[in-house]
Formats: sequence, C-alpha cells, structure tokens
Amino acid sequence: MTMQEDHKDCFVLEGKMALPNQYFAGRLGSRFLIAIRDRKKIMGLKCNQCGKTFVPPREYCEKCWTKIADNWVELGTEGELVNFTVVRYGDRHLPKKPPYILGQIRLDGADTPLVHIVEGIDPREVESGIRVKAVFAAKTTNTIMDIDHFEPV
Amino acid sequence: MTEYFGTTVADIFATMPKRFKPEEAKEVDIAIGYEATGEGGGKWKATIKHGTLKVETVDGDLTGCKTTIHTDAETFVGVTLGKIGALDALSSQKLRVAGDPKFLMLLLPKIFTPYAAPEKKPVSVTARDIITTIAERFRPEKAEGVAMTIGYDLTGEGGGRWTIVIRDGKCAVRGGLADPLTVKMTMEAKTYAGMMLGTIEAVTAFTSGQVKIEGDMAAAGATAKFFRKYVVPGATEAEELISLRVTNAIEQRFATGPVMGHWFAGLREKKFLANRCPKCGRTQIPPREICAWCRVRVHEFVEVGPKGVVTHFDIVYFASPDPLTGAVRDTPYATAYVVFDGSTEREAVTMDLKKEDIPRLKEGARVRPVWAEVTTGSSRDLIGVALDEQEESL
Repeated sequence: MTMQEDHKDCFVLEGKMALPNQYFAGRLGSRFLIAIRDRKKIMGLKCNQCGKTFVPPREYCEKCWTKIADNWVELGTEGELVNFTVVRYGDRHLPKKPPYILGQIRLDGADTPLVHIVEGIDPREVESGIRVKAVFAAKTTNTIMDIDHFEPV
Repeated sequence: MTEYFGTTVADIFATMPKRFKPEEAKEVDIAIGYEATGEGGGKWKATIKHGTLKVETVDGDLTGCKTTIHTDAETFVGVTLGKIGALDALSSQKLRVAGDPKFLMLLLPKIFTPYAAPEKKPVSVTARDIITTIAERFRPEKAEGVAMTIGYDLTGEGGGRWTIVIRDGKCAVRGGLADPLTVKMTMEAKTYAGMMLGTIEAVTAFTSGQVKIEGDMAAAGATAKFFRKYVVPGATEAEELISLRVTNAIEQRFATGPVMGHWFAGLREKKFLANRCPKCGRTQIPPREICAWCRVRVHEFVEVGPKGVVTHFDIVYFASPDPLTGAVRDTPYATAYVVFDGSTEREAVTMDLKKEDIPRLKEGARVRPVWAEVTTGSSRDLIGVALDEQEESL
C-alpha cells in the first residue's frame, strides 16, 4: 500500500543551538602561550634524563615519566618542515581558506614537531626538509594562532 | 627560602628540637645525615645520643653519619608532611636512603612528634578596604565623558554606605548615599568583596538575587571597566592562566513533516487543528501521525478551541538560572494545563499563562489564546493563554 501524504504544509525550520564552552589551557599551556604572545618566543620542555625536548609542552617525559614541568628551554623560531599535508576542503571552523598547507615543523632545539600552517609557498611546490620560520600574529588571541603561520626562510 | 606545601625544609629542621621526645630516645645512638637538593634545600646532620639531640647544618660532605637520606627539597617536605608517601618516594628513587631505611621509618616516628606546617593567617580584606581605594584605581581614560553617581549600600560586617562620583574624568568616594543616584546597588559586604577579589562571579551574584540594582542597569554593568582591579596589599601576583570562553553554534534543521506542518498552518489562521484517532476517537493536540494509544495511522483533522478550561497548573517562583548562560526567566510564571473546547477530556496541553492573570488563576478557569501580532505559521504564533474576561464576568 502506498502512503498518501499531503506535503503542502511541510516546511523546514532553521535552528542554531548555542553551546557556551570554556577551554582551560592548563598551567603549562598557559605559560607556553604567554611566551608566544608577550615575548614572541617558543618554549619547550626538556627531559634531562633522556635529553628529549618536547613542544608543545607536556608535564611528564613520554619515555621515562620524569616530571619535566619546570625545565623550560627556549627553542628557535625557525625549524625544518618534516612533514605536511595539504588541506583541500573548506569549512567554517577551519582557520584558513583551502588549499593550505598544514605542516609539522621541528623547531631548532626541539625533538618533537609542532603542527602549524605554512604559507608563502605554493602547495604544489612544498617539500619536506625546507627551512621555515615563525611569523607572529599582530593581533593576539591567547591561542596557538598567536603564531600566525610559518613561512620559508 | 623556597616553600613547598606551604613550608620550608629549614623550618622542619628548626622545629626538630621542639618535636624531640628524649624519653623515647634514651637507648638511641645514631647520627643521621640529610641532603635535600634543589631550591630551598641544603645539608643537615642530626645527632641523637642518649636522649639528646643536636641538629646542625653541614657545608661540605656528610661525614660520620650512620645513615644518610638524599632527596630533593620538595619530596623531603612532602614526605615529612605525609603529602607524599614515603614508600612511593623510595620506590620511585626520589628519596634514597644510605643505610637501613626500615630502621629509620620505625625510629623517627617514635622519637619525634609529627611536623605540622605553620598556619598562615589568611589575609582578610573587607569591602571597606576595597571601596576606599577606588579613587586610586580610577582609569580616567576609560571614563571620558562619563558622569554618574553610584551608590553602594553594603550590609553586614565591613560594610557601610558609599557614593562614588565620576565626573569630568575624576572620581571621588564619599560616605553615605547621595541623592539622586544614577544607580544604587545593595548587597552584603562580603558579596561585594567576593566580586572584587574574583571569588564570586558578578553575573551569578546578580541572577541569584544577591545583588539588588536600582536605577540604570547598564551603568551598573559598565562600572567595572572604569577601575583597575583591586589587588590585596602584599599579595604576590597570581600566575596568569589562559582560559578561553567560546560559544559554539550548532546549525540545525527541523522538518515539520505533513502533520505538524498542518498544525502550524492552522496556527497561522489562529486555529487549533487536532487530529482524531479513527479507533478510539480521542483528539491529539498537537497532532501526531499515529495515535499513541491505538498505534494506528490518524488522518482526520478537527478544529478545537480556541477557548478552553484549565485543569491544573504550576506557578514557579524560583528563578533558576540557565546553567549554560546564567539567564533567568521573569518570575513568577505559570504553566497551565488546558483542555480546549471540543477536545476529548484527557488531552490537556501545557500553555504559558499571562503573568497578570496568575493571582486569579483557579482550576476550572476559562482561558482564551493570546496570539502574536502577526501569525506566520510557526511555534511563535501562540504566545500562551489568558483568563477569558468575558466569561469571568458572567
């Protein structure tokens, strides 16, 4: 049996649900962001036991579980692009219009890569291994976007 | 001296003679060396012999000690206060003992009373302390062209009445309440102090009724930016912590379907279109595709109302803030359960009742719908119900 339905009064209501959220950067995350915001410096945490330097900061060494929360070291604002992907789809929550390069940058003095946007080079020409430098944002927002992007040296 | 857990390594050694129990240590003959590394650390030697104790600081190597304890200053204080388990510290190598650790763990609690961190007197700041510094904290650059008098009536301990006058880029505090005032705020002195020190959130204090505002609400909200934050004298500046407040939006689409679509089309014409179950005959309002009792498809629409009768109701006096936004509804408000004329008897619909009618609301009262000025065929067309005066006067 086919259903008989009168669709003449059907309509669609557009809605928007607002969800107020609060995101806490944590004690170490705050220090990391404040150094970028106020001093234009990128700080990492070094494990003296393993010699490994982490960025973004973490409280414990991932290898030996040593507490490294107070062992801040200043990293360079330049580094090597060790890996990348090209973001080709756009959505309103994304920071840039596609296509853009999302890179893993190993800063001078760090052992772990920092993920950030790479600009100033065509996505078709980008290669792992190039040297890039941080460009700090003129207007700060207390987020990782206080580094606006990285660009080739 | 660096503090850990609210005290210092040095204080632990300084209080050692006071905590020593000579009668328990008559048989003891031992020299214990302590090495605490890091900030606030150092080397100490405790010599216990026949009921006597000698504590000394050591500059060079720890010599002549039967047992030595090596740790960092933080762990040392933590273990002494019981904040860090001694066994945990030992097994994680944060605390090393050269000698017999078991012997020490049995001996030390016997010959010393436990160490307690010195109590700190909390800094007590009253509303008076805060308000009298307001002129010093004034930021003329933020109050350009502003002219207002703000009255504070702060009740309870440390309270009083003050008027803050802002005019021509200047700010003055005067005792008592001036007349007229741009805005007057009444609250307990401790609420005011809490808001100024950041332990009470201003919005919450207001929505929960702890702050009473008379006069210009906008002026009350604007005052904060005219002043620098109050800082407790002698307090060390707190570490800045980053916390972002973000309101995320989720886009949604709600499709009415044919049955609810027909209901909304009815509202546009100021009609209540219920539907009637072919099996049990009951009217469903709002209509649904299937009778919820008989589980059969429902096709027939019938117009009910527009007037109806209140079967029962709730009156809400408590303004519970929305946990997400802190917004509160105007209280009291009433929810009336209305059976519209022509509906089957158990089909009551919940409706908001006009606020002015709440005192006269009774079970069995006749009500009429209150429509929006313009009806467009949406859920906003029907504002609620009001008592039907025409029938009331009969």
